[in-house]
Amino acid sequence: MIGLTGLSRSQLIIALAVIAGFFVFPLYAGAFRTDQLGLFLCYVMFALSLDLIWGFTGILSLGNAIYFGGGAYFIGLALKLQYAATHATRYGEGAIPDFMTWNGLTEIPRWMRPLRNVWFAAPAGVLAMGFLAFVFGVITFKRHIYGVYCAVITLAESLIFEELIIEKQAYTGGFNGITDYDSYSGSLHFYWVILAVTVFFFWLSRKLTTTHFGMVLRSIRENELRSEFFGFEVANYKIFVFTVAAMMSAVAGGLYAALNGIVSHQDIGPILSIEGVIWVAVGGRGTLIGSMVGAILVKGAQSLLSEQFAWIWDLLVGFMFILIIVLMPDGIMGALLRRARRRRAIAAGRMPAYEAARIEETPTT
Amino acid sequence: MAEAVFAQFLTGFSIVAILLIISLGLAIIFGVMRVINMAHGDFIMIGAYVAYVLQYYLHLNLFWAVPAAFVVLGLLGVVVEWGLIRQLYGRPLETLLATWGVSIILQAGIRLTFGPELRYVKAPDALSGEFPVPGSNLPFPYFRLFIIVLALVLLLMTYWLLYRTDLGMHVRAVNQNRAMAAVLGIDTRRIDSAVFAFGSGLAGIAGVVVAPIKTVSPIMGFKYAVDSYMVIVLGGVGRLAGTLAGATVIGEGETVLAFLFNNVIGELLVFTMIVLVIRVFPQGLFTIQHRRTENL
Repeated sequence: MIGLTGLSRSQLIIALAVIAGFFVFPLYAGAFRTDQLGLFLCYVMFALSLDLIWGFTGILSLGNAIYFGGGAYFIGLALKLQYAATHATRYGEGAIPDFMTWNGLTEIPRWMRPLRNVWFAAPAGVLAMGFLAFVFGVITFKRHIYGVYCAVITLAESLIFEELIIEKQAYTGGFNGITDYDSYSGSLHFYWVILAVTVFFFWLSRKLTTTHFGMVLRSIRENELRSEFFGFEVANYKIFVFTVAAMMSAVAGGLYAALNGIVSHQDIGPILSIEGVIWVAVGGRGTLIGSMVGAILVKGAQSLLSEQFAWIWDLLVGFMFILIIVLMPDGIMGALLRRARRRRAIAAGRMPAYEAARIEETPTT
Repeated sequence: MAEAVFAQFLTGFSIVAILLIISLGLAIIFGVMRVINMAHGDFIMIGAYVAYVLQYYLHLNLFWAVPAAFVVLGLLGVVVEWGLIRQLYGRPLETLLATWGVSIILQAGIRLTFGPELRYVKAPDALSGEFPVPGSNLPFPYFRLFIIVLALVLLLMTYWLLYRTDLGMHVRAVNQNRAMAAVLGIDTRRIDSAVFAFGSGLAGIAGVVVAPIKTVSPIMGFKYAVDSYMVIVLGGVGRLAGTLAGATVIGEGETVLAFLFNNVIGELLVFTMIVLVIRVFPQGLFTIQHRRTENL
């Protein structure tokens, strides 16, 4: 077990305890909170994927909701088509979803028909998003578009996708999105599926970042040009990790759509893209745990507070976010981990106190 | 058909003018500070609300709003630069995220003050009506002509500031090599502050002239901001010609293509074109040669 996960014994115990906590949570909480936690876990996966590309590789992408939303639309569409096919009294013999009828489609477009099978739609969506990310990755990274330029271009991509979704309403439900299909809301088993996928993605991310491959990613983050001088094909590493992260996002989005029962243009647009980056920044980038904690913390606080103080909440998020960026550049977990590392080093006598102070200044891994 | 396209082409110039006002400020800020201000769109929005407040509470016409918005947003720019961006010096990506926080706060603040409803601002009476375009019968609103003239005036003013004054020379020096400029005794912090205030003020003016064309709402700025980021990506930084070229291509491209196909397809085509261009010119169309040692 320890060899498989690369965690130390105590870390493994903590991890198992946390997973067990999440596992038994629905047995004690109501269906509403269980669904909510399930949705949070989808956000956690999204945050993990962002941490891989931003926290570890240093690519600030403000367009990764494209892949989350893309995966969500594949599943949403598939479930909607299935729902239409099984509810002939409401949708007629043609089994055409309502938003298509409203927009004058008299039959389901030929290219969309395979999506009637969810078991085809799910892998198709993930692969399609992977391919899309690969293409965007090649365009962006092969030409050394990095830093702020990369952020701005991905932001524009995300905005265009959101507008496309709203525009092509005959196929996507437009502004209202896809609603009114059988979701897995309230299903205990589905919650456990989401939990299992989350754990798997955490394990995968750990494998990607603790190995030699992860070292290269971090060296790219610290100094792209030097990594290239050392002979690493930086662009290929970036494209690979960008594609993997996009596929993770797509899976998260698909699960999200299946649980939430509604897919809308906001799931693909810039707001969610940037919100995801905020979770990672708050929790602590470059620490997988941090991004997960950040997602649950911000989303959790939002759903607890925003019902009463919706507008105030926005103000709070803004201020909190600025404070964390300025005062805690490594986020909450980053700051905690560094302090723990320093204390351990002093306690073990590996390092005199004045040297340990320097750890405070180096980024955690 | 050809005439209709020509009409769109003319209308496009007013869009170009708006983009130009927005991106001028953004390009100088990015050139000098290497910082993308994600709240730039919200500065535009606040400029529009300045026009709204002057019109509905003080009954002043839109001409007064132009200098007022410039001053208000300039001051806001100084505050943001001093309170936030200076704290994050040398960390462009963190700055980008932190200014997103500013954006959230500004939007929420405006929503708390004025409510989420759409607001309407009138163009001044002197500029109502249309005139025939010489050589054809196409009508062209006076107000759009005003926007174009204003943008040209601001462009010339910026040119004069950058290339004919000492301050402008310092700005260009910091743009080309910050460390060397500092060594030669230029107060780079003062330059940062001035540049950020100027750019923010221009965003405010853009908000004023956008207000009568579009409805005023807390989220109105985002689209303009993204378009002007694209102007910078396409045009490059360091030369006003780049900003002018970028704004022209994107403004005209989106207007004419939106007419020929639809809004979204137009944007998609323009974006594709930008991506193709920066594959050939990664630094944008117009750029000053830098020694690429910043990243070593």
